[in-house]
Amino acid sequence: MTSPERYGRALPTLITLIVVGVMLMTFDVRSEGAGVMGVLRRGTQTLMAPLQKAASYAVSPVVNLLDSVTDVATLREENAALKRLVQDLTAEINASRDAQVRLDELEAIYGMTPTGVDIGRTVANVIGRVGATTDEALIIDKGTNHGIAVGQPVVDAQNYVVGSVASVTSSSATVIPILSSRQGMTVLVGQAEGTLLPQTGSDLMRLEIFGAREAVLRGSTVLTSSGSLRFPSGWLVGEVTEDVQPTVDVVTVPVRPFSTPATLRMVVVLAWPPDPITASTPPTTTTTTIPEDSSSTTLPEDTISTTTGGGG
Amino acid sequence: MRIPKAPLVLTMMILAIVVQTTLLGQVRSWAPDLVVLMVILFALTRIRAEFVLLIGFSSGLILDLIGTSLIGLRAVVYTTVAYAAMRTIHYAEIGRVTMGLWAGVLTFMALALVIVLGTLFGQTNVVGPDVGSRMIVIPLLNAGLAALSAPLFVRIVDRDTGIFGYS
Repeated sequence: MTSPERYGRALPTLITLIVVGVMLMTFDVRSEGAGVMGVLRRGTQTLMAPLQKAASYAVSPVVNLLDSVTDVATLREENAALKRLVQDLTAEINASRDAQVRLDELEAIYGMTPTGVDIGRTVANVIGRVGATTDEALIIDKGTNHGIAVGQPVVDAQNYVVGSVASVTSSSATVIPILSSRQGMTVLVGQAEGTLLPQTGSDLMRLEIFGAREAVLRGSTVLTSSGSLRFPSGWLVGEVTEDVQPTVDVVTVPVRPFSTPATLRMVVVLAWPPDPITASTPPTTTTTTIPEDSSSTTLPEDTISTTTGGGG
Repeated sequence: MRIPKAPLVLTMMILAIVVQTTLLGQVRSWAPDLVVLMVILFALTRIRAEFVLLIGFSSGLILDLIGTSLIGLRAVVYTTVAYAAMRTIHYAEIGRVTMGLWAGVLTFMALALVIVLGTLFGQTNVVGPDVGSRMIVIPLLNAGLAALSAPLFVRIVDRDTGIFGYS
């Protein structure tokens, strides 16, 4: 086993393989995942997806059992918290019903018709994970055959933002969670808009707000902004974990994402932007058109444009 | 019936990758790195050194390709780990505990190399959440698994216990 013959050509082989590996890395960096590297990646993912689907189907009961055992202690507390949440949400829904009725009446009075775009949703199962230690990514069981495209936003069952589709094959796709993404996202906290970025070695994200005039308080909800080109506006991203006072230039705020990709079994891929041509304009904004004969009527700004995006 | 070695090795490699990305990917809090462990254990067998390096390279490359990381990153790292494992194989011959520690150190080396090389190539996402605790937990788990399963693994691949006088 440890005889010198065994290692005869080991060193030249090692050097060759390392050179090939470094060349592959260089090509991948230079081509930014496109070209031959992209084809290689999609080909491998297409080959591996059926195996992962079969394995995922087989091991799901085991994983669910393990999850149930570990979660049983917290279920009672979670149940009580959820009951309180249901009461709060029911109250909120009742309050918003009045506003909706009023809006409907106003639209009827002025003869306005909504021309907003509904975001299509594709539910997908998580069949695999790679890079659990470092650069994590989720593999889902839906691909181009189901209308999935690179760049589409992904949310979880609670409509919390998970990430976006990084690569796609005919029957599977790879999702990069926002915590692992190299790109920042434009978000909104209260009235302030900022950029949310992942932090090295942390499950918290860093929100940078330029020219913040007000303090950002702990517990404030972080939403996707209409200024974002990658996500529709109004979707829940996370919450601020500590109070931060405004400074002269940039305010840095720690944010805990609502979604936990490690525990996800199912995600929802949003067909957004619905039309690449209109991608430059926020498509989740429902605009109401006013008939020509009533164009002389002056309407309050907030009745002309109503943001409907966001499901959380 | 004797199973040909090449298909056996290929099946074990693919199986390790599939299990790592499905079952172990979902119970990730306490999940070992099965692919690295497999590469380390192949170094203990009588498979020719060049082929062990190729196994390391190809398993790393497949992981790179099915994920989103830089293509070639894990391929280079796993090849290096396979070589380091073969050059330090005498530690595995001492005893079960030493072999476990040896496998743990090599696993730690693999994780550290992924982070260092990834950072050098501008991959800002290679250091995920809880990376500190994972850098400790995963090598420990791999150490335990190696101590338990290495003799059996070598017996399956080589059809004898090879270097293990203690199996």
